[in-house]
Amino acid sequence: MQLGTRKVIDRSFTGLGLVSILLVAAALVTLLLPIAVRGVGAFIFSATVEHRRLTLEHFGRGDAARIEAEVAQTQAARQPVYDSIARFEQELPTYPAARRREYRAELDELKEHLRVLLGPAPEDGRPVMVRNQYGQTRWDRAQVKLQHLLMVEEWDYSDSTQMGQRVLRPRVTHFQGTALEPLFAYVETHAEQMLRPQWTFYWRFLFDDSLDAHIFGGIWPEVLGTLYLTIGSILFAVPMGVVSAIYLVEYAKEGWLVGLLRSCISTLAGVPSIVFGLFGLAFFINTIRVSPSKSVLAGSLTLAALILPLVIRASEEAIRAVPRTYKEAALSCGASRWRTIVTVVLPAALPGILTGIVISMGRAAGETAPIIFTAAFSVGPALKFWETFTQGTPALPWNIYSLCTEHQAVDEIRHVQYGMVLTLVMLVLCLNGAAIIIRARITRKLTG
Amino acid sequence: MTEAASSDVSRPPPIRRIARRQGLLLSRRASRWRHVTGLCGHGILLLITSSSALAVLFIFFFIAKDALPFFITREAGLLERLREFFTTSAWYPSSVAPSFGALAIFVGSGLVTLGAALVAVPLGVMAAVCLSDVLPFGARQLVKPVIEILAAIPSVAYGFFALVVFAPLLQSRGGLVLSVGWWCLAGPVAALLVFVLSDIATSRLTRQRGSRWIRPAAAAVLGGSALAVLMYVGGRLAGIEVGSGTNALNVSIILGIMALPTVTSVSEDALQAVGRELREGAYALGATRSEVLLRVVIPAAASGICAAIILGLMRAVGETMVVWMASGNAAQIPSPWYNLLQPVRTLTATIAGDMGEADHVTGSARYHVLFAMALALLSISFICNLISERVISRATLKLR
Repeated sequence: MQLGTRKVIDRSFTGLGLVSILLVAAALVTLLLPIAVRGVGAFIFSATVEHRRLTLEHFGRGDAARIEAEVAQTQAARQPVYDSIARFEQELPTYPAARRREYRAELDELKEHLRVLLGPAPEDGRPVMVRNQYGQTRWDRAQVKLQHLLMVEEWDYSDSTQMGQRVLRPRVTHFQGTALEPLFAYVETHAEQMLRPQWTFYWRFLFDDSLDAHIFGGIWPEVLGTLYLTIGSILFAVPMGVVSAIYLVEYAKEGWLVGLLRSCISTLAGVPSIVFGLFGLAFFINTIRVSPSKSVLAGSLTLAALILPLVIRASEEAIRAVPRTYKEAALSCGASRWRTIVTVVLPAALPGILTGIVISMGRAAGETAPIIFTAAFSVGPALKFWETFTQGTPALPWNIYSLCTEHQAVDEIRHVQYGMVLTLVMLVLCLNGAAIIIRARITRKLTG
Repeated sequence: MTEAASSDVSRPPPIRRIARRQGLLLSRRASRWRHVTGLCGHGILLLITSSSALAVLFIFFFIAKDALPFFITREAGLLERLREFFTTSAWYPSSVAPSFGALAIFVGSGLVTLGAALVAVPLGVMAAVCLSDVLPFGARQLVKPVIEILAAIPSVAYGFFALVVFAPLLQSRGGLVLSVGWWCLAGPVAALLVFVLSDIATSRLTRQRGSRWIRPAAAAVLGGSALAVLMYVGGRLAGIEVGSGTNALNVSIILGIMALPTVTSVSEDALQAVGRELREGAYALGATRSEVLLRVVIPAAASGICAAIILGLMRAVGETMVVWMASGNAAQIPSPWYNLLQPVRTLTATIAGDMGEADHVTGSARYHVLFAMALALLSISFICNLISERVISRATLKLR
C-alpha cells in the first residue's frame, strides 16, 4: 500500500471515531432536548385566570381581592356568550321539529366545548369533580380547545382506496342564520379577555399535591415518595456496603471464599432489575411479611439489594486508593487495626465512598422495575413519615409510566408527564454532577 | 495478696494505663482479649459481607421456588409443560383453557437484543477506541461525562422518550427517519471503503504502468457505485411505511443507546490495559495510528471488548421499562423473523405487565409462569456474567 493511502486510511479511521463520538453526543442531545424544553413548560407557562382561581381555592394562595376582581372581569367578558346561547334557546321552539332536534344535539356539543374551555356556565352550579370545576388553566391547552370549539373535525371516506382524510369545517356553518352565529366570531376575538393569560413561574409544581389524578396541581406525592425510597434504600445499603468493602480490602485473605463472595457481588450487579422486583414481592412481602402489601419499606429493601453491589465496588475502590503510608503510619503509632481503619483509612476514603453513594442514590431514584410490585401506587397522598412502614407510595419513575400509558386523559396532561420526567432526570443528573465534582476534587487533592 | 499489690492492679499509674489503652503495652490477658475481639470482629465483618452472597442465593431460591410449581403440576407432566413453554408461541395466560407458550416472547427478547447490539457494538467500540487513543486529554474529559450522563439517565426517561417522542415520529415520518439513519451510519463507512478499495485495486496497476489518472478514475467509479447503492437503499427505506411506531426497531435503537455507555467504558478499560509498550513498539516499526489500533491494540484487547459487549447486551436483555412502554407488547414472532418494524413482546415486559393482574391470584399457574420467565432471565444473566468474568480474568492474565 502506498504511504499516502495509509495516511488517508489513518485519517478516515480517526474520522470514523470522531463521527461515532458525535453520534453519541447527538443521541444525548436529541434525548434531553425535548424533555428539557417541554419539561420546563410544566413550570413556566402562560396561565389563565382559571389557574389563579384554582390556586386560590385549593391551595389558598394568591391575592384574593385581585383574583376576584379578575374573575369578575372575565365573567363580564364571557357574559355575551351565555347571553347568545340563552337567546338561541329561546328561539329554538320556532324551528321545525327535525331541525330542532339537530340543533339541540349540536348545542349540547357546543356547550360541552365551552365548559371545557371556560369552566362551568354560571347557571350550572359547582360540579363535584374537580376537573369539571375549572376551564383550561394553561393558555396553550386553551388554544387547542378553542380550535376544537371553532372547528369540527370530520373524516372524509369518499376515496375508498385510501385512508380517511381529516377535514376541518368551521362549526359556525352549522348555526348559519341563527342567534348563535355571532358567538363564534366573538369567542375567537375575545378569548384573551375571557381567560386573561399571564406568564407564570409555577415553581410550586414540585411541592403541590395533585388534584383529581394529576389533571391539576403538582407532583409532591411522587417527589416525596421518590425521596423516601431513595433515602430508605441508602440507609440499608450503605452500612452493609461500606462494611463489606472494609472486609474485602482490609481483612479478607484471597482464597476461595473471597473469590466466591466477589463473584456473588458481580452476579448481584448483573441481575435484571425486574427480577429484583419479583424477588422483593416473593421474599419481603410474601415470605417475611415486612408489610401486609406494598410499602415504602419493602421497596427500599428491594432497591437496597439492587444498589448494594454498586456501593461495595465504589467503597472498595476508594479504600484501596488510600496510600499505604497512611495506614502504616497509624499502625506504627500503635493503633489497632480497627482503630486505624476507623480513624485513618475511612476518613481518607470518605470522598470516594461519598461519590459511590451519590451515584447509587441516582440509580435508586430512577429505577422503576423493582418498585412496581413492592412499593408503587398510581395515585395516593403524600405519606407521613410513619406511614412509610405500612403503605405504598406514588413515585416519580412509576408515575411517569402510569401517566403516559394508563391515565384516562393522556394527551391532556402531557405537560405533567414532561414535568415529572424533567424533575426525575434533573434529580439524577444533579446527583451525578455532584459525584463528578467530588471526584474532581479528589483527583486534584491526590495529584497536587 | 497485699493491699499494696491489689491497689497496684486496680489503680495502675496513669502513664501505664494510657500506654495500655493505646496498645503500646499489653498484659497477657489484654492480649488474649484483643485476639478474641479481633476474631469476633472478623466474624461479624464476614457475616455482613456474606449478606450479598446471601441475597444472590435468596434471589435464586425464591424465584425458583415460585417457578417450579409451574412445571410440576397435576394437570400436565413436566416434559409437556417444558415443551409447551419453550416451543409453542400461543400466549393466552388468562383464557379459560390457558396456554403458556413463550417461544414468541423469547424470540422477541432475542430480536430486540440483537437490534440493540447492532446499534451499540459498532458505535460503542469505535467511541471507546476514539476515547482511549485518538482524543487529546482535554477532549476526553469533556466526552466522558457525556457517556456517564447517558448511563445515569433513568430507564423510564428513555422509555418515555421512546413512547412519546420517537414512536409518533417513526409512525408519521418512518421512511424519512430510516433513510436519515441509513445515511448517517452507512455514509462514512462507505466513504472509507471507497478510499481503501480504490487504493488496493490501483496499487498493483500503478506499479505496472505508472499512469497518474488511474487512481482517481478507480475512486470515481467505486465512489459512484457506492453512492448508487446508498441512494438506492436510502430510497427504498424512505418508501417504507411504518404501521406502528411502537415496534422492535424503536426499542432496539433506544436499548442500543442505553447499552452504549457500558460497552464504551468497559472496552475503554480493556484498551487502556493493553499498555504503552505494545503501542510504542508498533509505532517504532513505522505503523500509522490506525494500523497500531487495528493490528495490535484491538486484537490484544479483544477479550475485554467481548466482555464489554456481553455486559452491554445483558443490560439490554434485562431492561424493562423501555420495552414495556415502546415495544408494542404483541406476543408474536415477526414475519419474516428479522422484520424489526413489527411489534414484539419481551420477557421483562411480560413479567412487568402481567404480574399486576396475576397479583390477586397468587398461586395460580399464571403467577408461577411469570416466575419461570424470571428464572430464565436470571439464568441468562448469570451465565453471561460468568462468561464475561472468565473472559476478563483471562485477558488480564494474558496481558500480564
